[in-house]
Amino acid sequence: MKTIPPLCPEPEVGPKYWRSLDQLADQPEFRHWMEREFPAGASLAPEGESRRDWIKLMSASFMLAGVGSFVGGCRRPEETLTPFAKQPEGYVHGKPQHYATSMPVRGSAVALVAKSYEGRPVKLEGNSLHPDANGGTDHFAQAALLNLYDPDRAYRHTQAGSDVKVEVVRDLLSASGKKFAANGGEGLAFLTERSGSPTRNRLQDEIAKKFPKSKWFVYEPVDFSACGRALSVLFGADVQPHHRLEGARRILALDCDFIGTEQDAHRNIRGFAKGRRSSDDQMNRLYAVESLMTLTGGNADHRLRVRPTDVVKVAAQIGVAVLAKAGISGELAGTLQQLAAGSPASAAWAQACAADLFQNKGAAVVLAGYTQPAAVHLIAQALNAVLGAFGPALVAIKSSENRADGSISECVAALKAGLDTLIILGGNPAYNAPVDLEFAAAAKKAKNVVRLGYYEDETAKLASVHVAAAHFLESWGDARTGDGTWVPVQPLIEPLFGGFTEIELIARLLGLDKVSPLDLVRGTFGTDDAAWRKFLHDGHLAGSAAKPLDFSAADLARVAQALAAEKPVAGSGYDVVLARASSVDDGRYNNNGWLQEVPDPITKVTWENVILISPTTAKELGISESANAKDGQYRQHLLKITVGSRSVQGPVWVQPGFADHTFGLALGYGRTETGRVGRGSGFDAYPLYLDGSRHVATGAKAEVVPGRHLVAVTQEHGLMEGRPIVREANLEQFKTKPDFAKNMDLESHLPHYVPFKEKPDGRNVDPRPQNIYEHPYDQNPSTASKIHQWGMVLDLGSCVGCNACVLACQSENNIPIVGKDQVARGREMHWMRIDRYYSHDPEAVVTSETAANDPQMAVQPMFCQHCESAPCESVCPVNATVHDEEGLNVMAYNRCIGTRYCANNCPFKVRRFNFFDYNKRETDYAGAQSQHFFNYGNLYKGPAGVNRNEAPEWEIIKLVKNPDVTVRMRGVMEKCTFCVQRVEQAKIAQKVKVGNSGDVAVPDGGVRTACQQVCPAEAITFGNILDPDSAVSKLKRLPRNYSVLGFLDIRPRVTYLARIRNPNPEIAKIEGRTQPDTLRDYERFRHESPFETHGHGPAHEEKHAAVVPQKGAA
Amino acid sequence: MSDIFPKWTNKLPLMAGIAAVVVGLTVTAGITYYFTPKYTRVGYQPKQPVAFSHAIHADQLGMDCRYCHSAVEKSWFSNIPSSGTCMNCHSQVKKDSDKLQLVRDSFASGQPIPWIQIHKTPDYVYFNHSVHVNRGISCVHCHGQINKMDEVYHAKSHSMAFCLECHREPEKFIRPNELVTKLDWVNEGFDGKKAVHDWKVQPGQSCSTCHR
Repeated sequence: MKTIPPLCPEPEVGPKYWRSLDQLADQPEFRHWMEREFPAGASLAPEGESRRDWIKLMSASFMLAGVGSFVGGCRRPEETLTPFAKQPEGYVHGKPQHYATSMPVRGSAVALVAKSYEGRPVKLEGNSLHPDANGGTDHFAQAALLNLYDPDRAYRHTQAGSDVKVEVVRDLLSASGKKFAANGGEGLAFLTERSGSPTRNRLQDEIAKKFPKSKWFVYEPVDFSACGRALSVLFGADVQPHHRLEGARRILALDCDFIGTEQDAHRNIRGFAKGRRSSDDQMNRLYAVESLMTLTGGNADHRLRVRPTDVVKVAAQIGVAVLAKAGISGELAGTLQQLAAGSPASAAWAQACAADLFQNKGAAVVLAGYTQPAAVHLIAQALNAVLGAFGPALVAIKSSENRADGSISECVAALKAGLDTLIILGGNPAYNAPVDLEFAAAAKKAKNVVRLGYYEDETAKLASVHVAAAHFLESWGDARTGDGTWVPVQPLIEPLFGGFTEIELIARLLGLDKVSPLDLVRGTFGTDDAAWRKFLHDGHLAGSAAKPLDFSAADLARVAQALAAEKPVAGSGYDVVLARASSVDDGRYNNNGWLQEVPDPITKVTWENVILISPTTAKELGISESANAKDGQYRQHLLKITVGSRSVQGPVWVQPGFADHTFGLALGYGRTETGRVGRGSGFDAYPLYLDGSRHVATGAKAEVVPGRHLVAVTQEHGLMEGRPIVREANLEQFKTKPDFAKNMDLESHLPHYVPFKEKPDGRNVDPRPQNIYEHPYDQNPSTASKIHQWGMVLDLGSCVGCNACVLACQSENNIPIVGKDQVARGREMHWMRIDRYYSHDPEAVVTSETAANDPQMAVQPMFCQHCESAPCESVCPVNATVHDEEGLNVMAYNRCIGTRYCANNCPFKVRRFNFFDYNKRETDYAGAQSQHFFNYGNLYKGPAGVNRNEAPEWEIIKLVKNPDVTVRMRGVMEKCTFCVQRVEQAKIAQKVKVGNSGDVAVPDGGVRTACQQVCPAEAITFGNILDPDSAVSKLKRLPRNYSVLGFLDIRPRVTYLARIRNPNPEIAKIEGRTQPDTLRDYERFRHESPFETHGHGPAHEEKHAAVVPQKGAA
Repeated sequence: MSDIFPKWTNKLPLMAGIAAVVVGLTVTAGITYYFTPKYTRVGYQPKQPVAFSHAIHADQLGMDCRYCHSAVEKSWFSNIPSSGTCMNCHSQVKKDSDKLQLVRDSFASGQPIPWIQIHKTPDYVYFNHSVHVNRGISCVHCHGQINKMDEVYHAKSHSMAFCLECHREPEKFIRPNELVTKLDWVNEGFDGKKAVHDWKVQPGQSCSTCHR
């Protein structure tokens, strides 16, 4: 007899967790939509055409199919195998090779290991040999691979718009080199991106020697150098910061999204998570003062929401309090006092924060964000000096970049004064230079504009000569990582389109003898072959990290002086923040489909940017209804924002936790000259990016523009209502009852985690009630492997929600992009999603405005949980989804007939269905949907649409596919496989190693899933749960361990560790938040607290202990 | 009298007859195509660009398979040797033979020889050579007596049932690793059951073993 599963506990009032304002508003329309499995009419035929149209089309397709099969023939075509004529030594066909390389980015770099399969790079991973890395990367590094295989990249060299051969470019460079050598470089200028490459620095020095009158300008629209400039004031030398957050117990972030959009975020995440994981008194505490709702704010223990122009006031207010405690008076204290006037933070808050920072002197650090003016950075560095951050949590190292003759404004001035030749190396100033400088008009005054670019973009249009650039995976080079370590850029493939590198172009201009990038890097490195080989093998030069400057060089008086000269702009009207986009950066990844489609970590908007406003601001502007969703399709109001004489227009997005009187706009969208992917995505926010104000403009006006705009969000897709899904507690509570998470739901009545174990008669030993979903090993226990049973633990205490895993999974598992139209219909294909929950004060009146102002945020990666008693398996009519011997819930694509029953029965909503041939047919990218069938996107046209396999340029995009994973076709279901290809490869490697012996168990750590490998926070652990000593088994025994929806008794193999917050008790009192909002809400509707024994938890603990598996016993 | 059966019904028997023939032919064609060894390409023997004889090299001369197929123990893929491998010997032996002209040309020019593929698993099957030959499964089980073939042909069916036959009863096929390339080996007293137990040979029978 089957037991009816317990009903899901429903909250009595209001939902506990809400993921959007619509859900909070709980409208009937919303509820109806949410309760559907495939939202947005995902399974409906497009509207606007009759049945006749369909029949016509169907019969046409059948006819074509018939013709096709005759023409195509019946037998398999003859294929040839072409081995090498002369095989390179040591090369093994079919075995992937790994090379250390690095991705240079804005004067820093990400150390990488690239996996190459038969000569093509297919996956990038972090280099764990690097002294300042753990093998994790950020999401940009994961997606950079797709840029290599972008069919829209610059594939030719042009002069005056027509193609020229590479020899012409070479001759031209050496000719102009000779010309300028004659006049000392008069009229020659370079405009480059930031770079810490020692080779480029060397060549820059040679340029300065050979062409003394030439100018070298460096420009980045999102420039992270403000922090370094403030630090240079403090140290009186040209230095850059190197944060070591693992050494910080108290962190104050001043509008600094160091987890999300700051420089080297993956390094910061690693340090931050390390200090967070301990869940004891050594745990760090994060204060965030911010205007945007960012990942940093969402992960903070205390978040203060202020408009961007007020951040300086709060910073000064905290500064005054810290200085008072340190007994420092004088000019600095006086200036801070003045700046603090009118701070929106309560004195008590600032005092408590300052006291906490000061108490942890020597382990407290203050970070300031790139959007903030110099004053905030100076205050931050002054505080760091006072709080003793230098050494444990932050060091100043010698800047790895050469000095430049100026930035974009100096460049424009030089252009106006008259330049002969401007050489633009990378960047896209025509698009992203401050708009009031009118760079494009100025550049036209130069006689020649030579541009090295990866795309034929806005700047390419200005260039008289455009040179195609090589990708970093196709070119030799070098760089320095954030700690100053020298890393190689090693190519894995010849330049696909014969692109040049920056250093080669400069060397040709210099007329050097050896101009190949390899020779140039060797020239910098030296002649020691053994050291060079080790450099390439390890991917870094040991001991090359920069020496930290001695703190004795720091002088607060210099900071005081500089600060006194700063006059931060006071906010008036509305403030506008122009931020780096979490997906397309400053526009450089605009044509990268993986990044365009990855949801923003906070808003979950894909394919475009939106104008973020707070609920209160929305009300002021008369945008009354926050909910515009109909069938999950968000049709947003349009807003026009005007600063001075310039304005931009875009869709509004009401963002909980956003600062009032502030608009948040992401840069990098609305490109006019971009590839197929980026075309039409978002609006251009650069018109408000002015030379004076840069990232924060104030005095803006706004008006609602008639019309609506469809925004594709993944926010509500796969919603899980009202259950204790993310479980969290404050540190103090956790200490009183470490197993609180197990007490939080009905599963506390069930044995919590019982791995597979059998009795001699073949039945499971554990006393649970019989499940409605059969256990795969109950009926046939002999099928279960006694060697491996795989499981995973995800630590919510470490996870910050950075999206790196989502993209690593996409790259590893050949997950296609589907385009905006399809995302808006809920058909995104990501196997992994990061659920972001807001929770609010349940005592407050639940309206969108009040609750949404200061929510707490929690993130939870969600993917196939590999349930032992999997609901999806029971309903599959064709056994396409089944359990394997080692506990994986597998999908056999060839068996799947696409009923989608499994997705309907999945409690986690993690299955993804191929509604179209996303790999075969070109999607519509950011293209808006039209309502008529014949204008529907390409996907809907079926065989009549563009088949990308027939277009030659698509050959290149196939190269990105991982050969170890099947490329799925239309009509099949897919989902997380626990990276079964990696599991099988590890097992095979072990078996090959041991040969004729029985030691076939993969050692712990032998399998690392793609998401685990990339995670900079080390939040994911995968391994064999039959081995009691494996890392995953140890974590599963922790008291914080729980299963999501465990009460269904489906026994997920993925379990989560509850999140621990570490609030300051003083501030918690001020905020009235003595425990996480989620917990308070839980207690409110359950009428019980997980911290009081309710008679189930401890008893079960004993039982659990009894069934913890012993190696070999099962 | 009105027509109960309209005139066209006169042709009905004929039409039924034609339909029966068409259906019959389709069924016959279908069975011939899908249910015979030809479907699994058993017997497929294309003409290779170079008339290489396994019988001479592997049987008469006694060369080990792994001299040429050197990646078989290390990779999922058992490689076709490069022209350089042939030239190791044929720069001395039969160095002027007409039959080897293509090999010499290839070695000189660097252009590979276009060997025609005989054994091919579908793209959704991830077969791995290294794990089989390192765990006592011989070449002969899947490829037949290659050492007796002058021209290689597809000897076994390579259908899923064929794979499962061995994955279900490995003890019938297993042998010591050092004998894996001895294609003429006859089992006289080797205890397959014991080997399967001692080496913990548990060939997977679920989808994920081969399909990913």
